[in-house]
Amino acid sequence: MRAAAKGLGVTGVLVFTLFPVYLMIVTALNGEANAGSRTLWPDEWTFRNFAYVVTEGGFGRYLTNSLVVALATVLAGALLALLAAVAVARFRFRFRTSVLVMVLIIQMVPVEALVIPLFIQARTFQMLDSLFGLVVVYLAFSLPFAIWTLRGFVAAVPVELEEAAYLDGASWGRMFRSVLLPLVAPGLVATSVFSFIVAWNEFIFALTFMSDDQNYTVAVGLRRFFGQHATDWGAVMAASTLITIPVMVFFVIAQKRLTDGLVAGAVKG
Amino acid sequence: MTLAERTDVRPGVAPPAPRPRRRTAVARPWLLLTPALLVMGGLLLYPLVRVLVLSLQDFGLRELVSGRTKWVGLDNYGELLGSADLWATVLPNTVVFAVVAVVLTVVLGTLVALLLARLTPLVRGLVTTAIMVAWAMPAVTGTYVWVFVFAPVDGIAVQALDALGLVDAATANPFAGRISFYAVAALNVVHHGFPFVALTVLAGLLTIPRELTEAAIMDGASAWRRFWSLTFPMLRPVFAVVTVLSTIWDFKVFTQIYLMPGGDGVNRNVLTLGTWSYVESFAQNRYGLGAAIAVLLTAMLLVVTMAYLRLLFREEEL
Repeated sequence: MRAAAKGLGVTGVLVFTLFPVYLMIVTALNGEANAGSRTLWPDEWTFRNFAYVVTEGGFGRYLTNSLVVALATVLAGALLALLAAVAVARFRFRFRTSVLVMVLIIQMVPVEALVIPLFIQARTFQMLDSLFGLVVVYLAFSLPFAIWTLRGFVAAVPVELEEAAYLDGASWGRMFRSVLLPLVAPGLVATSVFSFIVAWNEFIFALTFMSDDQNYTVAVGLRRFFGQHATDWGAVMAASTLITIPVMVFFVIAQKRLTDGLVAGAVKG
Repeated sequence: MTLAERTDVRPGVAPPAPRPRRRTAVARPWLLLTPALLVMGGLLLYPLVRVLVLSLQDFGLRELVSGRTKWVGLDNYGELLGSADLWATVLPNTVVFAVVAVVLTVVLGTLVALLLARLTPLVRGLVTTAIMVAWAMPAVTGTYVWVFVFAPVDGIAVQALDALGLVDAATANPFAGRISFYAVAALNVVHHGFPFVALTVLAGLLTIPRELTEAAIMDGASAWRRFWSLTFPMLRPVFAVVTVLSTIWDFKVFTQIYLMPGGDGVNRNVLTLGTWSYVESFAQNRYGLGAAIAVLLTAMLLVVTMAYLRLLFREEEL
């Protein structure tokens, strides 16, 4: 391929991928009186929109809610998925294939099919408007991918290493901590990033389950800045930036791990 | 990371399980699996059964409050399949949008992967990071940004199209028309979805031995010819998996449609199976009909999923 064509391609990809992000940040930092004005380069730069959404807009509260929900989902998910992955990668047992096929199939289930029965169930158990209720749901969403991905990582750890640890007199727990855990750590990073994103970005369940705005997560809280007649785009984009930046930082840090996890699990984040 | 890389780089293909070791305790794997199975069974499988049951009931606000059940057999399905909305609007919206979005996502993703494979490591790292940024953009915020770009009257895209003389900015509303609504939705979904295809195909491209490509170049094969005679056949499983997965994702796109102006049921012309099911349930309180729509969507996805499973099973022993 000629250098010019390459340069054109690279420029095209960079513009297409980064333009929305650029526009989001620029609009958030735009200090001009008419927040709805669509400028590519504002005359006045300010953090006013950020200050507004966090203090008066109540967005600080939503950020805290989302952080709590996401971290709880990540921790519980990593533990449950690792145990399950060890089971399917290390043991041969009846219905092992059935379990794996089930794990694959249930990731295809559309959330629209689950939100109706789970809403009714949550209402019955008085779990609506509870952050814990969301954590449980997000845990279920992130587990199939996590198990499927970690299974590849666990299977890649040579059994001989484990057996050597046993021969050296290590207990199962000791072997797990000293041999297995360090070697599957990259897989755990990949699945944790994935679980975090599931919980951080999820919209339908947060919208349906949470009625008290004190319990909103960031994805739902954003809607506050849409007025009946006019939208405060400066506020929307400042809040959007606050939601997006943590996820992007995670993605870029975990970039290598994530693509490897994908290759092992073949599921999009 | 080297462990996972060394074994196999085809997506969906995990290394073969090690040979079974003798175990006295048959219960141990089940002990390890129980917590995960309980969560998935209770929150994914049971609700699936429940939604099927609900679709056979007239379940409205009264039933929600009282907990009573009112069976109506296949009435909800009768209403659904007899609805002009389904055949004229919802099904075409869902299917045509999914097909167009998948084709665009896979073609763009593949082109970007081919470009990435030819770049120096430094530039490739830079472009990969940009792609990751697009991928990392949450559906909610990504949708709002595209809505902002195409906002009527003073949105940047509308202004630009006005400057080109294609539309009149004063009256143009991209979200009012069915086709323009879905054009914006497709742009949003492709922007978010092509990075997965690009990076997966790139991973596949890097496994093709350099000698093969060089030999083809020596033989005077054009880039087009090299792609269809060498790259595509070798990466057929990769393309199959990214296509099927993209199809599944684009069939059930919800947030991106729901958050666009009119997408939440206000404009019935742009309903999809997903948003229709949600609106019937939570705006109209007709949970039974909403469940029937959800079952239809799930059944369609199941067909696509079966294709996915067959691909996986053909390639590996689970």
